[in-house]
Amino acid sequence: MNAQTQQVLQDSVVILPISVLFLVSLIPILIKVFRGNREPQPFSTLLYGFIGLVFATGITAAMAGGQKTAFSLAIVLDDVSVWSSCLVYFITAIVLMLSYDHAATKGKQFSEFCFLLISSAIGMVILIMSNDLIVTFLGIEMMSLALYILVAMSKEETLAKEAAFKYFILGSFASAIFLYGIALIYGTAGTTYLIGNESTVGLVQNAGRLISTNRIFLVGLGFVTLGFSFKVALFPFHAWAPDVYQGAPTPITAFMATAVKAATFVAFIRLFHCQGLASSAAFMNAMSWIAVLTMVLGNAAAIMQDNVKRMLAYSSVAHSGYAMVGLIAAGFGSDFNASASSVLFYLFSYSFMTMGSFALVGLLEKEAGTIIRMDDLKGLARRHPVLALSFTILMLSLAGIPPTLGFFGKLYIFSAAIEQDMYWLAFWGVLSSAISVYYYLRPVVMMYMSEEEGAEIVHANIMTRFTVIAAALIIVVVGIFSSPAIRAIRSAFNLL
Amino acid sequence: MNLLSAITLLPVLFAVIVMCVPKTVVRPVALLLALFEFGLSLSILSHFDKGSALLQMAENIPWIPEFGVSYYIGVDGLSLWLVLLTTFLTPLVVLGSWTSIDKSIKGFHAALFVLQTSMLGSFVAMDAILFYVFFELSLVPMYFMVGIWGGQRRVYATVKFFIFTMVGSLLMLLAIIYLMFAAHDTLGTMTASLPALYQLKLPFIAGDLLNPQTLLFLAFSIAFAIKVPMFPVHTWLPDAHVEAPTPGSVILAGVMLKMGSFGFLRFVIPLFPEASEHFAWVFILLGVVGIIYGALVAMVQPDIKKLVAYSSVSHMGYVMIGMFALNNYGVSGSLYQMLNHGISTGALFFLVGMIYERTHSREISRYGGLAKVLPIFTILFFIVTLSSIAVPMTNGFIGEFLILMGTFAVQKGFAILAVMGVVLGAVYMLWMFKRVFFGEPGELVKDTHHPLHDLNLREIAVIVPLLVMIFWMGLFPNHFLDWTKASVDNLVDNKDNYRITATNGATAGSAAPVGNLARVTAHLPPVKEQK
Repeated sequence: MNAQTQQVLQDSVVILPISVLFLVSLIPILIKVFRGNREPQPFSTLLYGFIGLVFATGITAAMAGGQKTAFSLAIVLDDVSVWSSCLVYFITAIVLMLSYDHAATKGKQFSEFCFLLISSAIGMVILIMSNDLIVTFLGIEMMSLALYILVAMSKEETLAKEAAFKYFILGSFASAIFLYGIALIYGTAGTTYLIGNESTVGLVQNAGRLISTNRIFLVGLGFVTLGFSFKVALFPFHAWAPDVYQGAPTPITAFMATAVKAATFVAFIRLFHCQGLASSAAFMNAMSWIAVLTMVLGNAAAIMQDNVKRMLAYSSVAHSGYAMVGLIAAGFGSDFNASASSVLFYLFSYSFMTMGSFALVGLLEKEAGTIIRMDDLKGLARRHPVLALSFTILMLSLAGIPPTLGFFGKLYIFSAAIEQDMYWLAFWGVLSSAISVYYYLRPVVMMYMSEEEGAEIVHANIMTRFTVIAAALIIVVVGIFSSPAIRAIRSAFNLL
Repeated sequence: MNLLSAITLLPVLFAVIVMCVPKTVVRPVALLLALFEFGLSLSILSHFDKGSALLQMAENIPWIPEFGVSYYIGVDGLSLWLVLLTTFLTPLVVLGSWTSIDKSIKGFHAALFVLQTSMLGSFVAMDAILFYVFFELSLVPMYFMVGIWGGQRRVYATVKFFIFTMVGSLLMLLAIIYLMFAAHDTLGTMTASLPALYQLKLPFIAGDLLNPQTLLFLAFSIAFAIKVPMFPVHTWLPDAHVEAPTPGSVILAGVMLKMGSFGFLRFVIPLFPEASEHFAWVFILLGVVGIIYGALVAMVQPDIKKLVAYSSVSHMGYVMIGMFALNNYGVSGSLYQMLNHGISTGALFFLVGMIYERTHSREISRYGGLAKVLPIFTILFFIVTLSSIAVPMTNGFIGEFLILMGTFAVQKGFAILAVMGVVLGAVYMLWMFKRVFFGEPGELVKDTHHPLHDLNLREIAVIVPLLVMIFWMGLFPNHFLDWTKASVDNLVDNKDNYRITATNGATAGSAAPVGNLARVTAHLPPVKEQK
């Protein structure tokens, strides 16, 4: 076996999980084709999806420890990739479950749905593992293109179509700007690799020098950041989020609010791994303002929402702001590993609580397009005490009340900021958390403290119920015993 | 897991138990569990060495070692009686709510037990983050207690309560994180354990607001001042009290307010001694304003419960001035007054709740002449009133006397104003008493369709333990002060260099004082051995 074949083999091992996942996700569609366009049993589709995801997770987890690069540096498999990919697979599995239950997504097109969802997840994993801005772009596009269709796939629903269109147009803009940024970076730095090796110098090594000497590089970096900011809905690029989150079928909203955000933030972390970003004070100030305004405006706008999904959408904008605080501490501070691991931990905690909350909203929806208002939550505690208690835990966790996971996530984020002497960021962070308490308590007030009756849960939706309750349990248990998780994430970053 | 851990964490298990038992036996089971908890907590006394200022029955388990956070608990003279107050009031609350809480009784008792754990945890926590967790956790069950079982405007009151307290404590969280990193810089390891944080020498510059010690001092003080509550951040309290159900008010006034004042003793004074001394006058001033303002506002309240709520603002003012007198008398008195307030105001809220259950009205003007109709109720109410206005032989007298003595030593002017507050306190309580119990029978009392029944045995059983405590604490203050003296002396005499060391776990009492403390305890008068 010559060196080249060996290289190819090694490279394919690194992408083995996504390859397997991709092949398995094709099975339901192929069955449908061979059966003359008759939809296979949705449950079998679900099972195939699960099998693929379990395999992918298993193979990924087996590759933990150590750092491998593949495809001449374009892809890097380290523990950060492993952790985040597993998170993405996990979320995808849950979203599959929710979609199987949900009125807007189950039925005729579930096999296509499953394929698109998994394609999007594969895009995310590419995004997570990317060490090359071009591959990052590839990952973003693959993730987004599948999402545009997923948003629109809800049956005969105008809001979903509008949301998909809006997302598509704005998303394309952001992608174009992102690509332009890459071009400028390549033009000035001569490379698009983030981390180099013996022969190639990566951006991580020489960004510090370029950023203070080369304006065009700074502009390029700004454009790339803008592209990321759009995907994670940071102010002022957040305007699409509430509309799209509201219009999309609820399981897809949950997917966008958790997996998309987590994957993009990981790529964002990799970009901010560049040493010496802090040498541009202007860049740092701009990022800090973005973070502060995202937190404050996201929370302030959420207060005014009556539609639960929109409220959660704005809350998710605000949470991007919190994660951004940690990211700024990582990128501009002196202790990258500690701060970056706080961001990843936060993404984990945020994903669990947001997933659970959207699952509950989905549970209340009778059919595609039902709008769940705050009033619909009334009396839930009387009729479904366990679900109401779980949702309460999720809300308290989002608000950052101890001893939930959300509190520890915020604790780590704010300690990262304070460690880097970024007191103002931390101050605005806690101030906006205080604002957020108000709207996170509203659903609780509705469920427990009202005599009236709201929406009834009409579908059995066992898996969705299970998701809500499991998310609440995880939040409490992992919250109280968060030490192993934060230790593992820290050691993952130490290898980076 | 030692005895103290068991006492702190068992109520969570109790909460699960009451959720599981059949609805009909929830109350007896909850009562038994609460009494068991009280009995268990009494056994602390037999393990506690009262002549020692050390941290006793300590337990230290790493919790999040990456951040230096540990599950570190222990009890000393400052927290001992507050722990017992909590476990003492809980069975009374279960008994007192026997008939007044009629919907979702399982949820109510579960909330009560979770609340008990969080209160006990705040008193015994010796790790700043652990304290914060318990401190914040206590908001959640209280939020539900007011919000579900409360009165008309319960949602407004409970959200206001939650947000007020939360805003204050979030700044404290930042301050705690800052301290942890300061510990990392000076001591080499990141830690949130209080004995380590006490060793930090934070720079303090008098007259400059932007130095670390002052800012941290303010962050902590605001959090605790809101909880106490001190004038002018007291506005959530009357709302919460008026809307809370009787048991909620009792716990809120009886124990939760002490979490704030205790925070000053545990955190603010030993962590920021220079700033505390420098700003002591501000707290004494605000305390005095609170005393007089609370009394004046209480005087004009038409609603009995609101009157008692404002009397809380006034009484907690005493606690604050005594504490910031920063001498032995003041701090002991302040600690004593915390217990007094828990007992007397708790009793007052119980009594107000009992009459409210009968008439569904708390308006003073609709009463009058109750003394003839409800003799037992009147006698009990009168004794509690006397305790509340600090008549000698009752507990209130000892506390206020010590506090005023302590304050007089440092701030004569304020002490004189505070004495006037005592008079005002007598005025509003006695005037209310006269209007409710004497004179022409009011419309509610005359109402022959709904004749009023005097207290039944259960209700008497709720009040009598509190009366016993009122007299016990009023007649034999040393039975209580002896246990706190060593810790208070250690705090006051060494506040610039405060140290607290743990004795070895369950063998508390046998271990000899260590290091710096040996010097301290050498000066203490010998403590009489009595059991």
